[in-house]
Amino acid sequence: MIEIKDLHVETDDKEILKGIDLTLQKGEVHAIMGPNGSGKSTLSYALAGRDGYNVTKGTASINEQSLLDMLPEERAAAGVFLAFQYPVEIPGVQMSNFLKTALNAVRKARGKDELDALEFLKLAKKKMKELGVSDDMLKRPVNVGASGGEKKRNEVLQMALLEPSFAVLDETDSGLDIDSLKIVADGINKLRSPERTFLVITHYQRLLDYIKPDVVHILADGRIIKSGGPELALELEEKGYAGFLGQAA
Amino acid sequence: MSASKNIMKFPKKSRYKPETADVFVPMEEGGADWLRALRKSGFDELKEQGLPTPKLERWKYTNLLPLVKNFGAELGASDVVYEDPDKLVQNMGVLFEDAPRWLIDVLSQAPVRDDMALWHLCNAYIRDGVVIDVPAGEIVDKPVEITITGHDGAFFVPRTVFRLGEGAELTVIEFHKGEGRYWNNRVTNVIVGPNARMRHYRIQENSADAVYTQNTHVQIERDGTYEGFTLAAGAALSRNQIHAELSGSNATCDVSGINILRGSQHGDTTLEIEHKAPHCTSHQFIRSVLGDQAHGVFQGKVYVSRGADKTDADQLSNALLLSEGAEMDTKPELEIYAEDVKCSHGATTGKLEDESLFYLRSRGVPEDQARALLIEAFVDEVADKLGDEAVREIVRKRVEIWLKK
Ligand SMILES: Nc1ncnc2c1ncn2[C@@H]1O[C@H](COP(=O)(O)OP(=O)(O)OP(=O)(O)O)[C@@H](O)[C@H]1O
Ligand SMILES: [Mg+2]
Repeated sequence: MIEIKDLHVETDDKEILKGIDLTLQKGEVHAIMGPNGSGKSTLSYALAGRDGYNVTKGTASINEQSLLDMLPEERAAAGVFLAFQYPVEIPGVQMSNFLKTALNAVRKARGKDELDALEFLKLAKKKMKELGVSDDMLKRPVNVGASGGEKKRNEVLQMALLEPSFAVLDETDSGLDIDSLKIVADGINKLRSPERTFLVITHYQRLLDYIKPDVVHILADGRIIKSGGPELALELEEKGYAGFLGQAA
Repeated sequence: MSASKNIMKFPKKSRYKPETADVFVPMEEGGADWLRALRKSGFDELKEQGLPTPKLERWKYTNLLPLVKNFGAELGASDVVYEDPDKLVQNMGVLFEDAPRWLIDVLSQAPVRDDMALWHLCNAYIRDGVVIDVPAGEIVDKPVEITITGHDGAFFVPRTVFRLGEGAELTVIEFHKGEGRYWNNRVTNVIVGPNARMRHYRIQENSADAVYTQNTHVQIERDGTYEGFTLAAGAALSRNQIHAELSGSNATCDVSGINILRGSQHGDTTLEIEHKAPHCTSHQFIRSVLGDQAHGVFQGKVYVSRGADKTDADQLSNALLLSEGAEMDTKPELEIYAEDVKCSHGATTGKLEDESLFYLRSRGVPEDQARALLIEAFVDEVADKLGDEAVREIVRKRVEIWLKK
């Protein structure tokens, strides 16, 4: 279970999140929608432990274990995974080396055996095939020269390898063509399990057609202004944020 | 006004500091006339200039003197071991008994600039060294490995000569190491004949208290290729100075380096590539990783003479500072007198990217490991370009070990 209580987050001395409360039961998928600049990515960074996103108040926990005192790598080991809105390019670090290092670091921290080069390759290739990522990717530097869509698939590939218990997907659907969206959504759906919780940040109903959320939240100006079932996303599509913001005020 | 006549004229301020050469005493040794003449001229030049100080333009960032105090009163020994499957290495000291004319000419060649007292210092005490002379057409497959080990208290000044005849190919890997405090001051001449190819690698892992100063002069004739690389990980102070002359058309000169320094290490790379013929290509590519209070220096110059048209030259220095106290000084220079040339230079100094670090850590990679991964990637772009695969692996391994220390 993921519990976020009264979470306040500052960046650059400016309060961005002004008290977020969210409870995600095991196995649930929650969607967060909200206007540009409302604080969606800030929430994802705060949960993943990025420097410069300072929690000034509130708590966040995974299975009753507080996240906020953990280093980013400890959070990853504890099961948190963030699919970045803008995946980072790392020249010179080969994708295969990166994936293997990450996977083994997480496995080690979780008390599992590390994989040798061959075992890793077998696993990676299997997951890549499922996600329609070409084998060449392994030899390329992390995200360098990859298209927007390829980067997003890469994020899902990493998630599939690291098997998180709590995945935050920050606009993993943006920049994807229709076919890629379907592949990525299928990849995410395949990972859905009673043990795994998702927080899906998106601007579009389209993704939610594929990944049926249990709960939809609307985030505006650092606060959740409304939560509801999947129908909330449809309603939002119709009325736009303006309608809701008026309602909240 | 007549008063001006009485103004006392001070002597012109000298860039040199002759008194810094006071500890050096001439060697009373016999030998052939040319050898005695070379020692004498070396000694005279040294006494006139003294050791280089930051007063000299090209020594502005590197203060040698405090680290070499008390060295020089006598020569010390070093161990030199070869891995030389094709029996190419000749002992210079033995050759001196009946030195061939070409060798005398190379050894007696004057340094190209007037701030090279350290070159003269080698000549003042010239006694031994290594010669490899590869005849025309001979392709040496196996690299020659030379390991030079310094010992505590030693001051040694070997000269080295590599000559490649037309179409010859040679790979040399020098390993520099040692224990304690010593000063290794070297001069190396490389002559790359027409269409010949020299690969020249140095793995510089001298002891933490050592001083390592080296001057290499490279001459590359038409269609010849020189690939020089240095991994600088050792020495309290190192100066890696290379002058290359591209004297025939279509010659290529690649000089690259990886400097990995920490503590209070000082590592200076000073390069000068002189394009004297048309259609030549040169690259300089240096990457430095500086931790703690380490200090890196890169001075790179490309000089394109009149007539060296269609020159293609670039130089790039990138430094990664791992701590607040680390420092990098760079001085890139281009001097161009030819037509239709392509020259570029660039220098950057930065830190590890927070974004990249966070990305890796968010995937579970512990911070230390994430840093190591990024540093390895940074220097690997230099290693990756080296022509010899075995050396690429050696370099990667050394960097990996360094990162674990
Ligand atoms: N590192 C930062 N430094 C300064 N301001 C920041 C930083 N990160 C976010 N902000 C500010 O915080 C606010 C929320 O940004 P955030 O990226 O969380 O929005 P978002 O909801 O993800 O928007 P989008 O839909 O455009 O992705 C914005 O006003 C943004 O400018
Ligand atoms: Mg965002």
